[in-house]
Amino acid sequence: MKNVRSAKGVNYSQTDNRVEKISMRRGAVILPSFKAYEEFKWTRKYFEQKPEEGYFIWVKKQINHPLTTCIAISLPKVSQEPRNLVIIEKGIEAEIYSICSVVKKNLCGVHIGKSRIVVKESSTLKMRHFHNWGRGDRVESSIKFFLEKEAKLSYNYKCLAVPETLKKESNTFLDFRSSAGFEIAVLAECGDVDMHDSIFLNGEKSSGMMKLRIIADKNSKISAHSKIIANSAGKGHLDCTGLLLDENSCISAVPELLNKNKDATLTHEASIGKISEEELNYLRSRGLTEDEAINLIVTGFLGENVPFLYKGRTLSKDYM
Amino acid sequence: MLKVENLSVKVGSKNILRGINIEIKKIEVHALLGPNASGKSTLAQVIMGFPDYKITAGKISFKGKDITNLSIEERAKLGMALVFQHPPTIKGIKLSKLLEKISKQKVDIKEFSLNPNILEREINVGFSGGEKKLSEIIQIISLDPSFVVFDELDAGLDIENLERLTSIIKDKLLDNGVSILLITHRGDILRFLKPDVAYVMLDGEIVCSSGNWKEVWRTITRYGYEKCKECEGRKLLSDRQPS
Repeated sequence: MKNVRSAKGVNYSQTDNRVEKISMRRGAVILPSFKAYEEFKWTRKYFEQKPEEGYFIWVKKQINHPLTTCIAISLPKVSQEPRNLVIIEKGIEAEIYSICSVVKKNLCGVHIGKSRIVVKESSTLKMRHFHNWGRGDRVESSIKFFLEKEAKLSYNYKCLAVPETLKKESNTFLDFRSSAGFEIAVLAECGDVDMHDSIFLNGEKSSGMMKLRIIADKNSKISAHSKIIANSAGKGHLDCTGLLLDENSCISAVPELLNKNKDATLTHEASIGKISEEELNYLRSRGLTEDEAINLIVTGFLGENVPFLYKGRTLSKDYM
Repeated sequence: MLKVENLSVKVGSKNILRGINIEIKKIEVHALLGPNASGKSTLAQVIMGFPDYKITAGKISFKGKDITNLSIEERAKLGMALVFQHPPTIKGIKLSKLLEKISKQKVDIKEFSLNPNILEREINVGFSGGEKKLSEIIQIISLDPSFVVFDELDAGLDIENLERLTSIIKDKLLDNGVSILLITHRGDILRFLKPDVAYVMLDGEIVCSSGNWKEVWRTITRYGYEKCKECEGRKLLSDRQPS
């Protein structure tokens, strides 16, 4: 990974416990969380206490480029506790790329992140969240999304290098006619992953869809709890598919539907298995080795790695 | 090009193929006919090296080399290819991505009067029957093979699409010296590709081998496959035996 300070196009970058760079964009306020806590009293309801680290992004007007944040660990044994707050004002369409990463794979760091994302009435947020960790790291990530009426959220989380332990939690609260689509992809190698993702259909005609793609390899354990709670007449669907790549890993997928409204419709599908022999043989008959075929199937399963682009320049390569 | 000698194959404890002999020379088209579950697709997969089958006797040679124990990809690298009867869907991978990985030669999709959007779709996901077959043929052409097994290319295709695909096969494969083993139970594809040799397979055995595909097909349509069993090794087999 390159030094985050040199990365162009990043709006907020933090290395270890230091803010490295803030690049404001017309139409948005971008600050360290503690400054926002001091300057905007209304933000305090979103924080449990005065934050010490993390970012505040307030998108007040339409911005035509994605906003990018990067929180990195560069030194051994660093412990981070970023508290992030994102507010998307009414009627705005915004896109955010959020990267949490390590510079080296042997730093044994701790990252405990908490984020609150508010998508106001009739606004749209596309958020891509990328995690990249080392084998000795410990990570806890908690995120809450509040969608006001007719707001839309598309959230794509990808972690292709898990830490030693990853605890990931998301809670999404949907108001009238709002909708949220989640695509979560995790590839665990030598890691222990515990995921709890819940969607609350609180408003009529709200809809939530959660698609989990999880792979466990090399003595890994993944526990994926996904849940939709219908408090109003909405629609929800859970789709969880797991692939086991070795004999010593295990996946537990627990989809849960809780319907408290007779006019709501909740569905789910879940499967865990190995890579299909038929697909492997097919690709091998095209000249790919077994390993190449597995890599290709895994890549497809987790979703294509679409690079983070800013003005035609690939940002994500700077962090991987 | 391809020589299958006295090949017998088991799955579990069940004998699937018995004493198969086939020899296909350069640029030759051979057709393998037979009813459902007679072992035709098994033979295609055994030739390609699929690991689910146990070869109990015989051997397979390709370009003079014994390939009986080679892996699927090693056979593919030698120039063998298989067009699947039911190609699997591979979610998340676009056809263009696969072609990028496997191609030994560039294929211009415009030549095939196919919507170029197919390249940006996931492999076989939502493809129509015709699109699946065309996707198979595009992949095979990109591999620049010297021998191709077509496992029921004609299944589920209307006559116009079949004619179009066989025309592509002639133009892009046969005219470039590729040999073909055609597995089918329809006469139309025989008419379009005019095989040099036709075999009839029943219950895992080749009961007939003839240089006169028209006579074989006439016998089948008039009397059914069982009739081929009756004339086993006599009338039709006498027309041509692989050397």
